[in-house]
Amino acid sequence: MSNVIVNRVKEFLRRFPPFTFLDEKSLEHVSTEVEVRYYGQGDKVFGQGEPAQNFFFVIKEGSVKLTENQNGESKVREICDEGDVFGVLALLGKRPYILNAQAYEDTLIYAIPVAVFEKILEENSSVSLYFAAGFASGQVVIRSELSQSKQARKLLTPPSQEDGLMIFTGQSNLNYSKDVLTSPMGVPTHVAVKKMAEKGVGSIVIVSENQFPLGIITDKDLRNNLIAQNRPYDTPVEMIMTSPVLTHRREETFANLYLTMIKNRLHHLIFTEDGTDQSKVTGLVSDHDILLSQGNNPAVIINAILNTWDINEMAVLRSRSDKLLKHYLENEISIDFIAKIMSEINDILIVRAVTIAIKKWEKVYPKESKIKFSFLLLGSEGREEQLLRTDLDNAIVFEDVPADELPKVQEYMLLIGQEVIEILLTCGFHPCPADMMASNPKWCQPLSRWKKYFTTWITNPEAESLLAASIFFDFRNIYGSTYFAEEMIQHIYEEIEGRQIFLNFLAKNAYMNPAPLGFFREFVVEKSGEHRDKFDIKMRAMMPLVDISRLLVLSKKVIGVNNTFKRFEKLAELEPQNKRLFEEAGEAYEIMMRMRALEGLRSSNSGRFLDPKSLGKIQRQLLRNAFEPINDLHKLIRTRFQLDYFG
Amino acid sequence: MGWLDYFITRDNVPKAPFVLKYESMNQQNIPGIRAIGRLPFTILDTETTGLNPKEDYILSFGAVKLNGYTIKVHTATELYLNAPVIKNEAIKVHGIIPRNEYTQLFIFAEKLLSYIGTDIIVGHHIGFDIALIEKAMKPFGLRKILNPVIDTLDLALRIEKGPYFDYQREPASYSLDQLCTRYGIEVDDRHTAAGDAFLTAQLLMKLLKIAEKKGIRTYKELMR
Repeated sequence: MSNVIVNRVKEFLRRFPPFTFLDEKSLEHVSTEVEVRYYGQGDKVFGQGEPAQNFFFVIKEGSVKLTENQNGESKVREICDEGDVFGVLALLGKRPYILNAQAYEDTLIYAIPVAVFEKILEENSSVSLYFAAGFASGQVVIRSELSQSKQARKLLTPPSQEDGLMIFTGQSNLNYSKDVLTSPMGVPTHVAVKKMAEKGVGSIVIVSENQFPLGIITDKDLRNNLIAQNRPYDTPVEMIMTSPVLTHRREETFANLYLTMIKNRLHHLIFTEDGTDQSKVTGLVSDHDILLSQGNNPAVIINAILNTWDINEMAVLRSRSDKLLKHYLENEISIDFIAKIMSEINDILIVRAVTIAIKKWEKVYPKESKIKFSFLLLGSEGREEQLLRTDLDNAIVFEDVPADELPKVQEYMLLIGQEVIEILLTCGFHPCPADMMASNPKWCQPLSRWKKYFTTWITNPEAESLLAASIFFDFRNIYGSTYFAEEMIQHIYEEIEGRQIFLNFLAKNAYMNPAPLGFFREFVVEKSGEHRDKFDIKMRAMMPLVDISRLLVLSKKVIGVNNTFKRFEKLAELEPQNKRLFEEAGEAYEIMMRMRALEGLRSSNSGRFLDPKSLGKIQRQLLRNAFEPINDLHKLIRTRFQLDYFG
Repeated sequence: MGWLDYFITRDNVPKAPFVLKYESMNQQNIPGIRAIGRLPFTILDTETTGLNPKEDYILSFGAVKLNGYTIKVHTATELYLNAPVIKNEAIKVHGIIPRNEYTQLFIFAEKLLSYIGTDIIVGHHIGFDIALIEKAMKPFGLRKILNPVIDTLDLALRIEKGPYFDYQREPASYSLDQLCTRYGIEVDDRHTAAGDAFLTAQLLMKLLKIAEKKGIRTYKELMR
C-alpha cells in the first residue's frame, strides 16, 4: 500500500460532502478503496437503464454530462464538475441508472465502491441523512459548493417576466411629449431658439411642409454648430440642425427604444406615425423622459427623497424601492449589491426623518438642540441587512451634560426620537415589538449611560443581556458624530477584555438556536399558532449565522464590520484555515436573505415564515445546503469556547 | 565502490526462487492485437541516492497499477530500502529521512518482482529506474528486467512530435513536471517515488487516450 497516494486521494475527498462528514479513519478507508478512472471526452460512464455499477462517482477533474433519453431525444439534466458526486442511486436500491453519464471533456473520476460506503452509511447518520435528503428531493447530483447550486438555480429560475434589461425595470409608463415643438425650414435660428425658450424645452424638430421630420436642433447643436462656428444668429435652422433623424413608432418596445438611443448616442428620439421619417411627427422622447419613467431606478429614488420634505411623498418613494428590490432579487443581482442599495435608500430616508425632526423642534429647544448626538441603527439595520421594511431597531446616544440640564436635553432628544419613529412608521416600517427604539426613554440616553448598559450586559450575561447583545452590539451611526459609536465599541472591547466568560456565554447562546432540520432532514416547522407548519427561517437559520459571526468578530476584536456576510469575509481572511467554512457561511447567509426577502415581498410581510411546501425542489435543496455551514460553525465554537465544559 | 560491487564481481550468482518464478512468467508475450484498454501497466518510480546508475542506489520504490484506464488506489505500493550511504543531496531533493520501515534487500527484490509480474512497465526516464532495479536484482541472479517497457517521455514525444523527433532539442519541456502541467495534472507532493508514480500514471492515461484517438489502439501499435 502507498500512503502517499492514499493521502492524496484523501485530501481531495475531504473537501467535498459527503466525505466532509467522515472521520479520519473512515476517510482513509474509503480513500484506499477508490478507483481512479480516466474518461476521454465523450466516453460513457454509464447509460440509462443499465444496471447500477458497484461504485458511485466523484469528479476529480473535468466534467460529466448527465442526460435523459426522452422520446428519442437526449435532454441534458445536469453538468457536474469538480467535487460533484453522481451515480449515487447505486448506493440505494441498486436500481438501473435513470440517466446517461458521459464525459463532457477529458475527465478524471474517483469511483467509490458502494460496498465500502454502505458500512459508513450504517454507522454515520449524518452521511446517510445527507444522502437520504438528496434522494428524497430527487437529486441526481450532490453539489460540491453552494456557489454552484446558486448557479444551477440561476439557470433554472425563469427571469422576471418584465423587461430583459436588467438595470431598468421595464416597460413602464414612459412619458413623452406628444406636443412636439416644430419649425419649418428657412426660419432664422434665433426665432426657433426663442420658441424653445418660451416652451422651456431643449429641442426643436425641423419639419417639411407635410410635417415629416427633417432634422432636430438641440442645445448641443446650438453650441457646436452655431456659436462655436461663429455663425450669425439668423442662420437658417436647416444649416445647423442634426440630420437625418432617427425615428421610431411609439408602439416600439421600451427596450428597443432605449437600445436605439444608447447605440446611436441619442438624447432625443422622434416618434412618427409609421416609424419612418416619411410620415408625420407624433412625439418626442428624451433621455430625461426615459430616466423619469424608470421610477424604480435607485438614483432616481434617492434623488427624489433628497428633494422632498413631504412625509407622504417619502412613503411613496420607499414603497417604490420595493419594486426595485423585487426586480433585483428576481434577477439574481448579488445580495451584497442589493443590501447596499436598500440600506442606502433606508439610510437616506432615516437621515431625512432626523433632519425633519430637528427642524421641527430646534426652535422650541434652542439650547438643547446644540447638544451633539448620534442616531444609531441597531439589529439588522445596523448590519445593513434590512431589505424589507421590517421592525425598527434604533437608539439615540448624546453628549454627557451636567445633571441639572439632563432632563431638558433628554426631553428634546426623546422628541427627536419619537418624531423620527412616526415618520418611519408612515413610510411603512414596523415598530419594534420589544420597543427597542429611539422613542423609548430607556434607549435615548447620554453616552455615560450607554457605557453602563454595555458594562452590565457584559458582566451579567443573563438571558436578557444576551438578547440585548444580539440587538445592541450591531449598532451603526447614521446621523451625527461618529464619536459616540467609536467610544462605545472601544468601551465594549475594554469590558470584554477582562471577562472572557462573556464570550463563552455568547457562544453558548449562539449554540442554543433551534436546529433548522429534523432527524430526517425535514424542515422543522412551527407546531402551533399563527405560523403553524411554517418554517421560521430567521430564528432557525439566519440568527445562528448572525450570532456566530458577531461572536467570532467580537472575539477577534474586529472594528467596523457589521454586516454578517462581510463579517464572514473578514473571518475568512483572519483564519485562513477556516476560510472555506466562513466563505460558505457567508454565501449561505446571502441565500437565506434572498429567500426571505422574496417571501416577504410575495406575502407582504417580514418573510420570516416560509412554507416549505411552497418552495421548489431546487430552493428546498438550496436551503438545506445553506444549513450545512451552521453545523460546522457550531462544532467550531463548541471547541473554541469550550462549551462542553461550560454550564 | 559500493557494497553491491561485492556481488557484482561474482559471476553465476544462483537464481533465487522468486527470480525463477518471475522469469518463467515472462516467457509469454502479450498478444499484439490486445486493445490498450485491456493492457496491464505498472507505473513506477524510484528515488535514488544520485543520478549515476553505477554509483547510486535505490532509496525508495513506488508504483501503481493501471488497467482499463483505472487505477485502484489500494494496488499502489511503496517500499523503502536502507542504502548504505545516504547522500545529503538526495535527501535535499527527495526529502527522504531515514526511517524504520526499511525493507531488506532480499524482501525488496522479491516484492518488487512479484508486484510487476508480467505488466508493461511504465515510467518517466524509465531506463534509469530499470538500470537501478536491475542492479538491485543482481545479487539474486536476475540480470535483466524482462517486462515490456514504455517511457512516458517517448510516448509524449511520439504523440506530440511524431516518432522521429529528437528530444534533445527541447529536453526541458518533456520533464515530468512540464508534461503534467501541460496535461493539466495537479503536481502536488512531487519527489516521493509513489507520488511521482501516481502522477506518471495519470499522465499515461491522458497520453494513451490521445494515442487511441490518433489510431494507436493495440499493444502492437503502442510498442512499435
